[in-house]
This record gives sequence, C-alpha cells and structure tokens, in this order.
Amino acid sequence: MDRFKACMILGLVCLAEIPAAAQTVKRTAGGKPDLNGIWQVLNTAAWDIQDHSAELGVPPGLGVVEGDEIPYRPEALARRQQNRTNRKTADPSEANCFLPGVPRATYMPYPFEIVQTQDSVVIRYEFAHALRAIPMGTRHAEGIPAAWMGDSRGHWEGDTLVIDVTNFNDETWFDHSGNFHSDALHVVERFTMTNADHILYEATIDDPKVFTRPWKVTMPLYRLVDKNAKLLEYECVFYLQEERYKNAPFK
Amino acid sequence: MRLSNNAAVLMAMAAIVLMASAASAQSVNRLSDSQPDMQGMYTRTGVKALEAEPPFNPIDPGEKNPFSVSNREDGLGPYPRIFGQGGNVLRGGQQRAQRRVGIIFPENKKLPWRPEEDVRRKQFLLEMNPAKDLRHIELNSRCALPGLFEGEDGNNPYTFLQPPGKVVIVYDYNHTSRVIDLNRREHLGKQVRLFMGDSIGHWEGNTLVVDTTNFNGRVAYSREIPYLSEDLHTIERFTVADGNTIDYEVTIDDPKLFTGPWKVAGYFSRAAKDVESIEFACAEGSQTLQNIFGAPPAR
Repeated sequence: MDRFKACMILGLVCLAEIPAAAQTVKRTAGGKPDLNGIWQVLNTAAWDIQDHSAELGVPPGLGVVEGDEIPYRPEALARRQQNRTNRKTADPSEANCFLPGVPRATYMPYPFEIVQTQDSVVIRYEFAHALRAIPMGTRHAEGIPAAWMGDSRGHWEGDTLVIDVTNFNDETWFDHSGNFHSDALHVVERFTMTNADHILYEATIDDPKVFTRPWKVTMPLYRLVDKNAKLLEYECVFYLQEERYKNAPFK
Repeated sequence: MRLSNNAAVLMAMAAIVLMASAASAQSVNRLSDSQPDMQGMYTRTGVKALEAEPPFNPIDPGEKNPFSVSNREDGLGPYPRIFGQGGNVLRGGQQRAQRRVGIIFPENKKLPWRPEEDVRRKQFLLEMNPAKDLRHIELNSRCALPGLFEGEDGNNPYTFLQPPGKVVIVYDYNHTSRVIDLNRREHLGKQVRLFMGDSIGHWEGNTLVVDTTNFNGRVAYSREIPYLSEDLHTIERFTVADGNTIDYEVTIDDPKLFTGPWKVAGYFSRAAKDVESIEFACAEGSQTLQNIFGAPPAR
C-alpha cells in the first residue's frame, strides 16, 4: 500500500504529502514570515563548500556551490592553493577563532538565532558570539571601516528576506579548504521559508577581484525543534587562549 | 532574596547623569504580545559602580589616574582618546537630570565581603599587573564575553529588541548579545556554565524582572571586583520609565563571596535617532596576550 493511501485510510494528516508552499508558515504581526528561532545547517560546507571526500577530521560532503565550480581568476588560484596547504594554522576561523564572515557564519557547524522584529533583524551566532545587526530598508553606511561580518542591509521581496552585504575586509575565508575573497566582496543572501521548520538559504557571491563571475551557494537551514533548544556560548578565542597561553608567561 | 525598603531610598549622586527631557509623563506603548515596548538603542549609565574604600587596583589605579574608568564622572570610560565624545553624541539632545546610579545597598557602599574572600580578591588584584598567569588577565582584555556588568557605561550602546516571548539585548561592545526568555520557568541544568548566564524573565507592570544563574565563575563585576563565583545569582529590574529611559537595578547575590546580597542602580537613555552600530571586532586584532606574556610556542 502506498503512503498516500495509508494516510487517506487512516485519516491521518501526512504533512510530507502536502506541497511545501501550501503549508502554513508562521507570520509576524506585520504579516511577514516569522524567521524567529534557532537554525543550523546539516552539511559540511564549513570544511569545504565544494564536493569533497573525507580526511582525518574532515567529514565528506556534497558541495553547496551551484554547479560545484568556483570561477576563480587564474591569478587567484595560487592563493587559494596556498591557503589550503596552510589551512591548519592559517584558517582565520577554524585555527584562530576569528569572526567567520558571510556566508560562512551561516554554515559553521554551530547553531545561530534569528531575532526578528518589525523594524529589525539580528542574527546571533553561537560560534565566537558573532553577531549581525541587519537594519531593514536602509542604505549601506559610507566611510566606515571594513568589517569582518560586513555591513548588512535587509529588505523583503515578497516572502523572502533579502540581505545585501558589503564593506567586507579581505580577512575571512569561505571554508576550511581555503576559498577566499577580497575586500570587493558583495554578498546577497536570500532567506525563504519553505515550511514551518525549514529555510531555503541562498547566497550570491560577487567579487570581481577574485572571481570571473558571480556564483552561488544554496542550502536548507533546519530549525532546532528540540523542546529546550537554546543558543549557548562557544567562546572559541577563550579556549584557544587557554590552550596557547596555559604555560604563560613566556618571557 | 529580599532587601529592606531602605535599599530603595534615593541616593544623592556624585556623578553627572543624563536623562530624557520631561519624558516622565509619557505613556509606555505595548507590543503585540503585550510586552511594554522598550525597543531601541540606549546608552548605559551608572552600573560600573565603585564600592566604598575600593582596594588598590594595579591595572586601573583609580586614585592616581584621572582617566580611570572608576574615577571619571563623565561616563566616557577608559578610552577617551579613542572614543572621544562618543557618549555625548549618542545621547544627543538629552538634558541632564538625576537618577539613581551606583551601589544603592548597602547604603554606605561597603560590600558585605566574606573577610577571607576580600583578602583573596585583593591578592588577586595585586597579581594582575604584572599578570601572574592567564587567569589574572581580565576577560575584556581577552575579548571574551563580558558578563552582565563589564559592558560599557557611556560610549558603546545597547539595543533592546523584543521578538515575541523574548527580550534580546545587543551590545555594541565586542558584538555581545544576551537573550532573556519570557516563557521559560526553569533554569538550564547546573552543568551548563555561561559567561552571560542563563536569563529568564517576566514582566511586572512596566518592569522586566530577570533572574540569571548558571554563570561560569569567570566574569567580573568591575576592575576592583575581578571575578564573581559560579554561585552568582542576579535579579535585574528594567523599568520602562518613559519613552526614553529605562531604569535599571540589579541585586547581586553571590554567597561564596559575600555574606548577603548587594544592589546597584543605573539607567539606560535612548540614543539619538538614526545612530547605528558598527562592528566591534576584538580578538581579530588583539595582541594583548602576546604583549604581556611573550609569544606562545609555535603550533
């Protein structure tokens, strides 16, 4: 007996059988999809955003890059390879606990919390207590220092939250395999709820200094549905210091 | 925990403090989940208070240093050359007035230290400069989360957000944030230890009452009180006084260090319109530990 018939006969509501679009997405008082909650990816993009096999300490994974190709300019490839070779000590986030940048913050293997109000969206990340304030309907600030997490501005396109991010420094990587960008990075993120507990996350990456054309990563975000779900603290820098300076002073 | 009503007696203040102009008559708006509306960006005043007869602090020798965070009365904090008049800009347009700040209980500002713990913290302070080891470096210098008190009075604003069922406070300082859960009654299990603690809250009229436990025994109250214990239990009261002011009061109960609770007052003043946060990256550029201790062995 197929599953559809079983649902009908038993009189059960089988959510899996209902097209995603038809399911109710919770909405805010203002009528927008309610993204409030704790979310996390279930992929291995933090290690490598492209298809990759396993290594010691690196889980294997299918890539999140559309077409699995990152269109590096030829002269940028050497830097990417060098990053990869030195990644155990050079990865800004994994080895040094620095703010992970965007979009990497989204797919670090730690949860994050979206805080959404009428006028504002804030994203709190468990990793390194990274934080993004995302003013809605405002223009990018001018003349401010380049930032690890960039300057984020949000707006709604229908039921999709669109975040335009600029003003990056050139310090962060896209993953532990050494994919990198310059300070010309421009990221456009799209958050679309496909049902109550999933968001389709898309990030278009444009950086004419490093890539020959824009490219895109796509992945679902999963709501932490655990009854007691709560964002805790991963104070990466603190633990790194505890390790590196445990026998201090050195001079 | 209970305190006598005397604790609520208004104190005359040494510091120059600021509040919104003629705002007390304004009513408080309510949000769709019926929370009083406290949203927006504010600066904080008066929470980093000095106890009576503070001990010598080799990091911040207040009695000698006119720029000491403890001594300055203009709320500009310890980095005036970097931040300049930032706090005053943030508070643009607001008149000076008097509100309660600093230690309000005990009234004499003598904290009820357990004598042996007071000796211990004074010794700890002496060993902070030069720092004896990593444990004696203040958390702010390590770019770790600051706990509830060691954020900035003055320059770095705080933004309050109220999604349904929560109050979220976003600090400019070191991209810190904390969430106060309004729909939870029980604290997290005892094994979960946090820099910012575990906060559950409820509204009593226009006052948000926040109960916080599960601290990790590392966060400081101030430069003179360089740590509080894992048994720290705070009760904060955020009272929406008017559209521009949130009065703040915190009861600090740490039975390992003190024989009884003590209480600090302060307040939040709404920042000038259209002020925005910019990133406060900390660890990413910090050379502090290397400068103090020398370079660690290569990895």
